[in-house]
Amino acid sequence: MSVSAVSISQFSLPKAFQVEDHFTTISKPIWRWRRQGSPASRIRCGKREAGEMLATSMGKNYYELLGVSVDSNAQKIKQAYRNLQKKYHPDVAGQEGHEYTLKLNEAYKVLMRGNLRKEYDASIGETRGNYSSSGLGRTSSWNGPLRPQGLFVDENACIGCRECVHHASSTFIFDEALGCARVKLQYGDDEQKIEVSVDSCPVNCIHWVEKEELPVLEFLIQPQPKEGFGIFGGGWERPANVFMAAKSFNKQTYNENHGRNSRASTVEEEETPAQAKARADASRKINMEAASGLFSRFWQWQNKPFWGEKVE
Amino acid sequence: MAEPAYTVASDSETTGEEKSSSTFSETAIGIDIGTSQCSVAVWNGSQVELLKNTRNQKMMRSYVTFKDENPSGGVSSQLSNEQDMLSGAAIFNMKRLIGRVDTDPVVHSSKSLPFLVQTLGIGVRPLIAALVNNVWRSTTPEEVVAIFLVELKAMAEIQLKRPIKNVVLTIPASFNRFQLTRIERACAMAGLHVLRLMPEPTAVALLYAQQNTSQNTNTGSEKIALIFNMGAGYCDVAVTATAGGVSQIKALAGSAIGGEDLLQNMMRHLLPDSESLLTSHGLDDIKSVGLLRVATQDAIHSLSSQTTVQVDVELGNGTKICKVVDRGEFEEINQDVFDKCASLIIQCLHDAKVDTEDVSDVIVVGGCSYIPKIKSLVKSTCKKQELYKGMNPLEAAVSGAALEGAVASGLSDPFGSLDLLTIQVTPLAIGIRADGNNFVPIIPISTTMPAQKDLIFTTAHDNQAEALIIVYEGEGKKVEENHLLGYFKITGIPLAPKGVPEIRVILDIDASSVLRVLAGVLMPGSHQPVNPVMGVRMPTVDDGHGWCAEALNRAYGSTLDLVTVHKKI
Repeated sequence: MSVSAVSISQFSLPKAFQVEDHFTTISKPIWRWRRQGSPASRIRCGKREAGEMLATSMGKNYYELLGVSVDSNAQKIKQAYRNLQKKYHPDVAGQEGHEYTLKLNEAYKVLMRGNLRKEYDASIGETRGNYSSSGLGRTSSWNGPLRPQGLFVDENACIGCRECVHHASSTFIFDEALGCARVKLQYGDDEQKIEVSVDSCPVNCIHWVEKEELPVLEFLIQPQPKEGFGIFGGGWERPANVFMAAKSFNKQTYNENHGRNSRASTVEEEETPAQAKARADASRKINMEAASGLFSRFWQWQNKPFWGEKVE
Repeated sequence: MAEPAYTVASDSETTGEEKSSSTFSETAIGIDIGTSQCSVAVWNGSQVELLKNTRNQKMMRSYVTFKDENPSGGVSSQLSNEQDMLSGAAIFNMKRLIGRVDTDPVVHSSKSLPFLVQTLGIGVRPLIAALVNNVWRSTTPEEVVAIFLVELKAMAEIQLKRPIKNVVLTIPASFNRFQLTRIERACAMAGLHVLRLMPEPTAVALLYAQQNTSQNTNTGSEKIALIFNMGAGYCDVAVTATAGGVSQIKALAGSAIGGEDLLQNMMRHLLPDSESLLTSHGLDDIKSVGLLRVATQDAIHSLSSQTTVQVDVELGNGTKICKVVDRGEFEEINQDVFDKCASLIIQCLHDAKVDTEDVSDVIVVGGCSYIPKIKSLVKSTCKKQELYKGMNPLEAAVSGAALEGAVASGLSDPFGSLDLLTIQVTPLAIGIRADGNNFVPIIPISTTMPAQKDLIFTTAHDNQAEALIIVYEGEGKKVEENHLLGYFKITGIPLAPKGVPEIRVILDIDASSVLRVLAGVLMPGSHQPVNPVMGVRMPTVDDGHGWCAEALNRAYGSTLDLVTVHKKI
């Protein structure tokens, strides 16, 4: 309970901690992205400042906390949980790991139980597989005035080299769960940096696309759940050629629904199928209201100096 | 409220030492105090090494002999256990008695031991005494355990050439928190700081995790193992899911049954009125019981390798036993014990929500693992043809403890041999008394540790200004069926109709299994606790813990009761 309290009530925070994302993930290439003087030089990553760990865990939902994608299967979640436990368990990290491990345990428990996970997904507006605009950063937002073109990363082609993130860190972010980069903020850096980043891509997977096409592409590139058959299947997939898929998608929506298209593609908030958005927003709101009272109380308690070491 | 008292580091509190312990010189050693044997192991920088005593033994008898002023334990004593046993001067099996009161059936079954175990049957600790120069010299289980811990510590210090402070101790899974405090007390008496108390099968699980990482670097595949550990005093079962050096305990089950029960059943079989041997506790009685015990023990050992054994013993009081016992007889008289073992396995698999076909390895360790019937019953219960090989049944637990000692001391190994972790679960549920005489669990059984859970309660009466928080551990529905851990009073609840004030109780267990109970009052609409929150480290009850609850009931009846509130989310 305390965990969800934190993650929900702190939703506005994540931006500041985006950089910290790298610290909670375990894939190898991140080493060179660690800040100077970071624990990278140590043999173990344990024994961190409590503040740092709490900060990284705040503002995250369970999926972000475990560093897994929303559609991860139990196997993936288990593996992520174990890897994180290896870093933060009090046996390794000392007493400072206590709070963080509590959150991990809670997140793990919820995500590993089908019914709890469903409830939780509903509460954060992440209906698995359904497109949602809960502000979790799956789609890009715009810096400054709208321009005719925007950047789009074909995640199918992306090899996860992080060159773009390196050159234009305000524009691109790296999705640790999916192992590829994507655009976080259109024109987040100056044009020169953006040019360099686009050119730096070894597989040329960064495309300039018309702003009208952008929302559709960003929607389609997200992994969609596959139908599961018994214990097989599940998992997720996305169109092999996202541009082709976008074309047929546009055609379809155009046929079905005249005139909607142009309006829906101006701002990311409106580009989603309206129903999904409404549903997600409503459930999120309800949950926020129900939770904030109860949880903030708890959180205040938590921050009270019961025990010296717990206070930041 | 004496809140600051709980933040003062007590002898068992995890304090700053842990942080400074990341150097090699501070590596915690692993100690396995068995009911009959104990051993010490340490991570020597590349592997686990069992330490040997001056007689080149890795396994040392867990007993203490009271002779003169200085008692001596099985680590250093040059005398044979068998000799001491006949004189009433040797005290052993203390792991079965530690933290138990004299109404406990385990204590009663210990009255046939060749020293004095006196019970009054009123819920106090039993009197335990050794015969020294024809005087019964009283002692306590804690003292006896502390004496051989001191010897183990001295032995390790000489061999490792450094002072030893931090230890990881293995304990039976069925130990309640009160018993754990007694073990911690014994460690404190011996000048040792308990870094971790590990249920024995979980220590074995950690060793298994290490063996699996070194054999198989593919971290993705998960293996489920069932660990059955049966020694002289206790039988424990654990189910663990292992992948990439992480051993995630799924469930634990345990009971105070072990080789000692087999031994007593066998003694009764050999001499039906063996219980009456000790009526006067004279020197001759002690000697007779001692002789019978030694002979029976030898017979059981022989039956592990041969199908029949000839028991021939003269008890010195005119009684002579001359009997041939075959393995079938032995198995028959111990059927109850074996049934209980099988039921523990079934229960553990059930708690872990694991089917036998999901179990890839079945590990049987402990002194009783040599008994053919034990092996076959574990195999048949788990529906397996073969048992896991590659572990020394007597050394597995202590080796796991040494690994945990190295991991929890912050050591790492260039070859990844210490890239290990064990994720423990609570062996028993913990909760408080509410809704009348009911036990309301707040942290359920098999909850991953560290754990923190909370529950909201409310007052049972209008204008109730005070409430008692009585904390229990166990599985029973009624509080009497559980172990009392402690109690405290919440005061200054604003006057309101019943059901209005919210009393929030938070239980927090950290990785070293320290339990803290927090409780505070909230009024509807307010986000701040009305009064300072109470934070109490448990258990707080000392001996005779069964009494306190009754006394509270006598003094307050139901006036300070609590009832549960159903969550409003």
